Amino acid sequence: MSTQATLETAVEEGRCGDRLWLYATYHCNLACGYCLTESMPAIANRRTLSAETMIRVVREAQELGFGAIGITGGELFMLPDAAETLAEIASILPTVALTNATLFTDRLLSRLEPLAELDIALQISLDSDQPDRNDAFRGPENFAKVERAIPALLERRITVRIATTVEEQTEEELARLCVLHRSWGISDDDHIVRGVVRRGRAELAGMGMTPGVTDILPELTITADGAFLHPFGPTVRHGVTDLDLLVSRQVAPLERAVERFLRLVSDQPVGTDVARNIR
Amino acid sequence: MSRLRLLLRDEAPLPVRSIYAADGSASPLKRSLANAPDLLETLLPFLGQIYDEGAVDLATKELVVVRVSQLNACRYCLAAHRPLALESGVDEEQLAAVCDEIPLGALAERERTIIEWADRYVLDPGAITDELVARVLDHLRDDQMVELAILIGATQMLNHFCTAFDVPPTA
Repeated sequence: MSTQATLETAVEEGRCGDRLWLYATYHCNLACGYCLTESMPAIANRRTLSAETMIRVVREAQELGFGAIGITGGELFMLPDAAETLAEIASILPTVALTNATLFTDRLLSRLEPLAELDIALQISLDSDQPDRNDAFRGPENFAKVERAIPALLERRITVRIATTVEEQTEEELARLCVLHRSWGISDDDHIVRGVVRRGRAELAGMGMTPGVTDILPELTITADGAFLHPFGPTVRHGVTDLDLLVSRQVAPLERAVERFLRLVSDQPVGTDVARNIR
Repeated sequence: MSRLRLLLRDEAPLPVRSIYAADGSASPLKRSLANAPDLLETLLPFLGQIYDEGAVDLATKELVVVRVSQLNACRYCLAAHRPLALESGVDEEQLAAVCDEIPLGALAERERTIIEWADRYVLDPGAITDELVARVLDHLRDDQMVELAILIGATQMLNHFCTAFDVPPTA
């Protein structure tokens, strides 16, 4: 059976997702307490994927039958050519790009305008409707910057999703956050709420929950360190990448990594019910 | 201290967890190689075939492995293979000879000739003469020389790896 057919079957059986993830860079302008990758401004090893590498991987992913792309980090927009790279990637496959939305200057926003014509969503992190609460998780002035960025993106007809990482927020707080995103015109379907995963910096800080084997849907994840089982795999502790969920060091050609990924997910239980919705 | 992470079973990439025993143990060499799981897929079966008994008997192979490791001063490989050599049938005097503890002249002609060839293969392969090869062929077939040559190459590779990364004999 071809790699493409094997992937199609694995996705149909719920053994893995059809989204391929890229860790564009581990560099970030923030230093969130629950960060899986110890991303921060002064990170010693940025582990950046070049634009050429990301576009090549996405082209190969499309040929192999992947249906969507996710881009995360670090902060994607720390990369100077992020806007143009995103447009190129989204012209190949539907894309969701995770961002903290704190770097959206008018100049960058104008460079993002071509995204309005493409199948792409920017998924923006926001943890509370209260600026002080949100900023306690995510850093000073984070809320104000996000509050400015979201309407600016929506005015440019760029799709926006909100992602909330839950650690100690109350039900009431989350309900108020939903009122806020609805006021921007962002539907509940485009609001993702997920728990902190106890890996990386969150593990060192004793935060979050330890996921079980079936809690996280396997989705092949490409980083500068290799290919991992899912986007919560390539975590960092004390500057060193965890290898326990490494699938393959080799990511070129992508098919080699996909073959190793599919061998591993063939051992996963069949079914699409992922217990804790950790996506 | 090793210059590579010696991965415990729970830290090791999923595809290579099978190299660990049921109790989670693995040699420091395997634990260091686990950093490169793609390579291990082919490297371990390759090494297994080379180091197991093949066309050449195990005692001869272990004698050569210890000798090459002695020439390369590989602390790890000497610690690992001296006991294996004794288990395979190498006697204490032969082991002492290839470890330069007594003169190589203590070896029987077959072993002495093979070790002379192995020494040249490691230290100065251009100095191997037709006459030396002819003497080796009095004791080995062509395919057995090929097998030993590949064994020497693999041992050199691991000697350099363990020494360069300071892989500890025990960890």
